[in-house]
Amino acid sequence: MASHKPNSELRQSEFRCLFGRRMALLILLVALVASITGKSDATSSASFSSSSTMHTNNWAVLVCTSRFWFNYRHMANTLSLYRTVKRLGIPDERIILMLADDMACNTRNNYPAQVFNNENHRLNLYGDNVEVDYRGYEVTVENFLRVLTGRHETAVPRSKRLLSDEGSHILLYMTGHGGDEFLKFQDSEELQSHDLADAVKQMKEKLRFKELLIMVDTCQAATLFNQLHSPGVLAIGSSMKGENSYSHHLDSDIGVSVVDRFTYYTLAFFERLNTYSNASMSSFFNSFVPSLLLSTAYYRTDLYQRPPAEVPVTNFFGSVMETIHTDSSYKGFSSKKTSSAKIGIPMNQADEIERRTLASTDAENHITESNLEVEENTIFHFISSIWNKVEQIENIDAVVNYGLVAMLPLAVLSTWILR
Amino acid sequence: MENGIPDSQNPKPKPRPIVRIGIFLISHNVFFSVVCCIGGILALFLLPLMAKNTYISENALMPGSANPMFSRYDAMEANKLVKSVMAMSLKPEETRIQIARLLAQRMEESGAEVYHHKFHEKISQFRPLHFFSDTPYTGSLLQNTSATRGLNTVGIIRAPRGDGKEAIVFVTPYNSTKIELNEALSLGLGYSVFSLLSRVTWLAKDIVWLAADSQYGEYASVAAWLRDYHTPVFDGPESKENPTSGAGNTDVFRRAGTMAAALVIKVVEKHGETEKDTLSIYAEASNGQMPNLDLINTVHYLAVHTQGLRVKVEKVYTLLNLAWLQVMGQILESVSKVARSLNPQWKFGMPAAEYVDGTATLASSLYYQALGVPTGSHGAFRDYQVDAVTLEISPKSFLNNEGRRTEFLLRGGRLMESVVRSVNNLLEKFHQSFFLYLMTSPSKFVSVGVYMIAFLLLLVPLPIAAAALYSSSTKDNQVPAFASTAKPGVLKSWRWLHAAKVVFIIHLWSTIVSLLPSLIDHIPEMTPTNNILIWASSSIFILLILYSMLGSPYSYPTTSGSRNSEWATLKSVMIAVASIGLGLMSIINYATAQIGAILMVPMCLIVHPLRLTGRSGNLKDFLLIACNLVLAVIGFPPAGLLVIKGWSEGVGGLNVGDFWIWAESLWAWNSATYLYVILIHFPCWVLCMHILLHPC
Repeated sequence: MASHKPNSELRQSEFRCLFGRRMALLILLVALVASITGKSDATSSASFSSSSTMHTNNWAVLVCTSRFWFNYRHMANTLSLYRTVKRLGIPDERIILMLADDMACNTRNNYPAQVFNNENHRLNLYGDNVEVDYRGYEVTVENFLRVLTGRHETAVPRSKRLLSDEGSHILLYMTGHGGDEFLKFQDSEELQSHDLADAVKQMKEKLRFKELLIMVDTCQAATLFNQLHSPGVLAIGSSMKGENSYSHHLDSDIGVSVVDRFTYYTLAFFERLNTYSNASMSSFFNSFVPSLLLSTAYYRTDLYQRPPAEVPVTNFFGSVMETIHTDSSYKGFSSKKTSSAKIGIPMNQADEIERRTLASTDAENHITESNLEVEENTIFHFISSIWNKVEQIENIDAVVNYGLVAMLPLAVLSTWILR
Repeated sequence: MENGIPDSQNPKPKPRPIVRIGIFLISHNVFFSVVCCIGGILALFLLPLMAKNTYISENALMPGSANPMFSRYDAMEANKLVKSVMAMSLKPEETRIQIARLLAQRMEESGAEVYHHKFHEKISQFRPLHFFSDTPYTGSLLQNTSATRGLNTVGIIRAPRGDGKEAIVFVTPYNSTKIELNEALSLGLGYSVFSLLSRVTWLAKDIVWLAADSQYGEYASVAAWLRDYHTPVFDGPESKENPTSGAGNTDVFRRAGTMAAALVIKVVEKHGETEKDTLSIYAEASNGQMPNLDLINTVHYLAVHTQGLRVKVEKVYTLLNLAWLQVMGQILESVSKVARSLNPQWKFGMPAAEYVDGTATLASSLYYQALGVPTGSHGAFRDYQVDAVTLEISPKSFLNNEGRRTEFLLRGGRLMESVVRSVNNLLEKFHQSFFLYLMTSPSKFVSVGVYMIAFLLLLVPLPIAAAALYSSSTKDNQVPAFASTAKPGVLKSWRWLHAAKVVFIIHLWSTIVSLLPSLIDHIPEMTPTNNILIWASSSIFILLILYSMLGSPYSYPTTSGSRNSEWATLKSVMIAVASIGLGLMSIINYATAQIGAILMVPMCLIVHPLRLTGRSGNLKDFLLIACNLVLAVIGFPPAGLLVIKGWSEGVGGLNVGDFWIWAESLWAWNSATYLYVILIHFPCWVLCMHILLHPC
C-alpha cells in the first residue's frame, strides 16, 4: 500500500486524525522511538491501541440461513432487521445481507415481489431499496466464515466484504433452524458454536472489530455462544438450551408464519426508537418477556467490558458515534458544541469508502488533505479562540445589558449622521 | 486343527453361543413353535392397541395455514353447472358429446388449456409375460374398435409463475351415457375449484382436471389417460397435418409436469348415518401399495379441523358385532386399567368399543391390501408412483335439497382447495411419511416396524422346525441306514436329495398350473364353472404326467426303516421352501403374506402322516388328526375362499365357478396375490396332503 512512505510519518498522520494534535505529538515521539529501535511493525503498535481505539463505524451482518417456502418467516425476520438498522443509520454499503432463499419471487407467494412481517400487510419489507449481498446457494457456512474473517478470493467485490476495522461496531444477526451448539445452513450444512467462536477469535486477532453484538433467533440459540472467548463480544439469543423459538403469528392470506417471536418483539422495541434515542442495551435485554416469547431470551455480557446499562442500542443497531472536537481535521463539526452530544452522522460516502480500507491508505489520504488545510487552520484557530473567550464570560445578562446600552449612542450617532 | 496338541489334555472346546442357542431352540422346537404361533396371532390382535396417532411429517405441507378463498359465489357457479348438466341428461342420445363439450367450454372460459382424450375399453386378458407391466395398446386395436370410445375431458391450468415441472391432478368420474345427480355434483365441484384455481396467484404446480368418462369403469378411463400421459407418441406426419396445434385445438394431447399428487373426487348419496357431511377416504392401490401417509393425513386434518366433516375409512362391518372380539376388547381394557393402577406411565389401553372398531378397520385394511386390487381409480396413479386417494363426499341430507346443496358444495370446494394449496406447498414428492402402514382408524395407523412383528413371530418357527425335523430324521436313521446299505457316507449327506426333487416337481407343476388360465382364457363361450373344471382336470393330468416322467414320490426304493423318516425329510424341505416363499411375499405384499402365514404356518407345522397317528387311538392323536383335516380343508385355496364367502355372504350363493371369477379379477389387476396363491400356497398345500397321506 503506502510502503514508500516513512513509517513515522504514517503513524503521525494516522493518529493525528484520531486524537488531535497533542496526542499526535506524543505518539509521534513513541513511533519515532519504535522506528529507531526497528521494531515498529504494524500489528505491535496497532494492538497497543486496540483496546483504546475509537469507535469508527458500524457494520451489520444479517443472515437468514434457511431455504424453502415454509421458512418464509426467517427471511422476513432478516429483512425486518435490515430495515431497522438502515433506518437507524447504517448505510447499505456497510450492511452484508445474506438471504438463503428468495421468498419474494417464490411462486407460492400471494403477493409477488413483496415480503411482509405482519399479517396487516402494511409494510412491504422488500421495497425498491434492498441490497442482497449473498443470496440463495451463496449463503453457505464457508461464505459466512469468509465474510467474518475477511479471507475472500480476490475476485469478490468490495460490496460483498465486511471491510470493518479495529474501531468497528458490528451487529451479527442470524436466524434459521438451530439446535444444541449448531445452526443449520441451507438444509445441508451446519455452523457449529466452535466455528463461530473461532471466526470471532480470528476477527479479534485481525482487528476487524471493536465491539461485536451477536444476535441469534433460532431454537436453543444460547448454545451457539458457548464457545465464545473473545473480548468485546456481546451475545443475545432467543432461547435457552432445550427451548424452541416459536413463530409469532400466521398470515392466513399468504399461508405461512411471517415472523418469529423474538424478532417480532425486537422490532417492537426498535419501532419506538430513532437515531437520537438513548435507550440502553440493558433496557433492550430486559424488554423480552418470556411469557410472550414462549422461550427465555439469553444474553451473555461477561466478555463485554462496558456495562450494558450505559451503552445505547444505537451503538450496534445504528450508526451513532461519539464525536470529539478536534481543531483541524473535522472543521465542519468543530463549530458545533461537541463536548458530549451524540449526533448520528452518516458520513460522506466517498470519504467512507476510503475509511474502510486498510489503515495505511487511510493515513495517506489524510496527509495530502492536511497540506491543503494549513492556511485555513490559522483562521480557524482564531475563530475558535474567540469562541472560547466568549464561553468564559460568566455574567451573560450583564454583557447583554451593556451591549444594549452601548447600542443607544450608536443609534443616536447614526441618525445624526444620516440627517 | 490349529493346536496340534492331543484333545486329551484340554476338554472339547465349547461351541460358540449362537450355535448353542440354535441347538437349544431346535431341541425345544415344539414348545417354541407353539409359543411363537400363538404370539404371532395375538400380536396381530394387539395391533389396534399399538396404533399411533397420525401426524403430518412433511413440514412443507402446512395444511390449513391459509384460509380457503372458495366462496359462496363459486358454490353457486358449481350449482349452475350441475343444473345445466342435469338438463342435458334428459336427452340421453346426445349426452355423451354434449357434456364433454360443455365441460371443455367452461374450462376454456376459465383460461385453461383444454383437450379431449379418446380411449378404448381395456380388454382384461391374462398375459403371463406382461404380468406386472401393463399392456400398451396396439395400433390395430385402435382402428378396430373405434366405435366404442370413451371421451375424457382434460383441462390444464399452467401455474402463472411456476416452472411447469410438477402438477396436481384431480379427477371427477362421471358416466357419460347415464349421468346421475351425484356425478353431476362432482363435476360441478371440480369445475368450481378449477375455475377458482385459474384465478389464484399462488400456484407453484400446474393443475390438471380430468373429467373422466366412466362408462367403461372409473379405473379404465383414468388408467387409459395416465398411460397416454406417460407414453409420449412421436409420430411426425400426424403432427405436420395439424399446424394449428395451438390453444384452440381440442384433440392435441397436452401434458403438465410430473404429478405430485392426485385426488379423485366423488359425491355419493348415503343416508341416515350422521348429522354431519361425511368424507370416506379410499387409498389402497394394486398389490397393497398405499399412498404416502402424509396425503391421507393432510386430507384428514383439513376435513376434520377446517371443514368439520366426519372422516371414515373402510371397515369390515360384520366384525363389529362379534361377541368374542368385544370380550377381547373388554379384557384388554381391564388389563390396561390394572396396568395403569400399577404404573401411571403405562398408557396403552383403549375403550373396548374403540378396540373393536379399530380391529374392524384393520381387518378391512389388511383385506384390501392382501387382495391387491385397487379400491378405486386412484389405484391407476399408484402404478406411476403418484400418490393418490379417492375422496368420497356424502352430504347429510338429500342431494335434491337445493338449499343444502350450496352449503355442501361450499364445504367440498374449500376442502379441495385447501388440499391443493397444501400439496402446492410441497417441494419434493411425498417422501417424509410412511408408505407401508395399515390404518386402524382415519387418524391412527400401524407402521411397518410394528406389524412385521406379528408376521415374523409366525414365520420364525418354520426354519427351526425344518432344522429340527432334518436333524431328528438323520439321527433316527443313522443305525438302520448303516445296517441296510453299504455306502454310509453318501447316504447321510444326500438324504434330502429325494425330498428336494419331490418339492421341486410340485413347484414346477404349480408354475405350469398358474399359466394354464392364459390358455383356457382363449376357449370361447365358457362359463366360469366349466373353466374351473377344465383348469382342475388339466392340472391333475399334468401332475400325473410329471410323476410318470420324473418319478413318483412313492416310487422311492427304500427299506421300511428309512421310509419311516422319509416324510420327515420331505416335510423339512417343504417347510424351508414355504418359509422362503412367505418371506419373499412379505416384501412384495405384506398383507397377503400375513394372511397366508396364518393359514399356512399351522398347517405346515402340524402336518403328520395319518397312518402314523392312526395306530394308537388316544385323544391326543385324535386331536392331531382333526387339526390336520381342518387345516387341510381351509388351506386349500378354493375351499378357503368358499368358506370366507359363505361366511360373509351366506351359504346360498356359493358356486365352484367363484374361484375362477376371483382368480380372473386377480390377474386382470396384476395382483401378486394370484402368484402367491398358485406358486407358494398351493404347492405347499399339495405337499402337506402328500405327507398326510404318506404310506409310512
